[in-house]
Amino acid sequence: MLEFEKPLYWLMGLSILVLLFLGIAQDGFQSSVQGFIRIQSHPGRLINDFTLVGGTGGAFFNAAVMTILSLFLVRSSGIRISGPTLAATFTIMGFALFGKTPTNALPIVFGVVLAAKLAGKPFKNYILFALFGTALGPVVSFFIAEIGLGGFSGFVAGYGVGTVVGFFLPAVGIVMLRMHEGYNLYNIGLTAGFLGLFVAGVFRASNMNVDIEVLWNREPTLAHQLLVPLFSVLFLLGGIIRSPNKILINQKKILKSSGRLPSDFVDSATVAGALVNMGLLGLVASGYMALVGADFNGPTLGGLLTLFGFGAFGKHLRNTLPIFAGVVVATLLFGKSLVAPGPILAFLFATTLAPLAGEFGPLIGFAAGFVHLVMVEQSAAWHGGVDLYNNGFAGGLTATLFVAVIQWVKANKS
Amino acid sequence: MKQKEYIMHLLAEVSNYVLEAMPSRMVISLHQESDGLHLAVIDNNERPEDELESMRTALNSASRPEMAEYYGSMGGTDLVGHARLSLIGWQIKHADVTRRDKGTKIDLWLGSDRFDSRQFNIPSEEKL
Repeated sequence: MLEFEKPLYWLMGLSILVLLFLGIAQDGFQSSVQGFIRIQSHPGRLINDFTLVGGTGGAFFNAAVMTILSLFLVRSSGIRISGPTLAATFTIMGFALFGKTPTNALPIVFGVVLAAKLAGKPFKNYILFALFGTALGPVVSFFIAEIGLGGFSGFVAGYGVGTVVGFFLPAVGIVMLRMHEGYNLYNIGLTAGFLGLFVAGVFRASNMNVDIEVLWNREPTLAHQLLVPLFSVLFLLGGIIRSPNKILINQKKILKSSGRLPSDFVDSATVAGALVNMGLLGLVASGYMALVGADFNGPTLGGLLTLFGFGAFGKHLRNTLPIFAGVVVATLLFGKSLVAPGPILAFLFATTLAPLAGEFGPLIGFAAGFVHLVMVEQSAAWHGGVDLYNNGFAGGLTATLFVAVIQWVKANKS
Repeated sequence: MKQKEYIMHLLAEVSNYVLEAMPSRMVISLHQESDGLHLAVIDNNERPEDELESMRTALNSASRPEMAEYYGSMGGTDLVGHARLSLIGWQIKHADVTRRDKGTKIDLWLGSDRFDSRQFNIPSEEKL
């Protein structure tokens, strides 16, 4: 383990303890474990708030287990923990509150392992596909929990199909990356959405119901409200303590970056810089949620944790604020509520487009945020909610549109 | 990635970087050795020392197999953003960046250490 990885593993360990403590303090140990077990056989398609399915304790327990498994995968494959792995781990933690479970993630990872074997490469080369690729977990849950195959048959079908979609992730992911040229941070969201179109197509052709249903916790507890602010303070202090004299220098370095994939702030601005940036983003986004009175539930905590994780891998205040503004203005202009599920999730996840603002300026960023809200409200239905990173899917389409136009203008400018 | 595609990605990304400074000359030399490959790119653009240093840092970044395999595939495919040498750095064995006459020479080693790149330089005006 490299020297700079130690504080990151410590902070991740502390985060898992905070998660478990808050969950168990809320619901008790036994109830949390029972909730966790209940979640394993529950549908995972968008939007299923696990804090309602398994209670706060069960959902937090599920998130803790998923985080531990992710860290184990990173450590055992010999990959360093840094920007992309931090982003992936917090994304997994967040989405384990509304869709990902160890049960539905396993076959996806196995599919990526098979792809690596076939390509003759070590698994560590493909680990990011495996970690982010768990976005397609609901495909597995669909067979286990939704179509009534039941027990063993459901597991066999789910694990079979899950392995197949996992197998395709690396091949498709690389092509999708070239489409938007790294301006959509959740590239696997676009990839999973693309694969999801085919999966949902087959489901629909077989007369299976893939309509979107929303299970949304409107009565979040104090544990929900405290989670991300606590993480943010923890990471912020960690960064300040590690390098108290270089806070501004590091932040300046990060703010100069466009954030385009791959922008590893642990590499470019030190561990301390990345930690402070994560903390700042977490506090700002949580502050906005509190200000508008949004629900701190499974899906929104997922959004906050993803934003927080990508504070080490592409997002910072300069490139996210214009995106935020675009989503808020679009929400108000179309007469929607700022705290309704669609707009609040779009607010948090639209920052997948942060590199557009970082590279081409706040006006482009604002426009991208605006267009994103329009797109994301439609795109979940296309893939039947089997791609948990629906905002990554819509963001990828939006980024591709912007990149195509910018490229055309650039190529034809005299 | 197959060798041909791999080389094309590297060539395109490093050419993209060099051409951003709009040199009037660029020479690319590619040599396949039995145990590796050497790529030399020479231009007639004088770069300040701090740029040369940042090029060295980007091209000699630590091994990141997870980044090389995934994001390294973007090398040479960018049409909108700036060229990024770190995409190459994750994928090669070693790189040297040196000042040559009135230009810059970038040596990329992808396996072989035996190749002597000193024989390559921008042809003089008379030879052109």
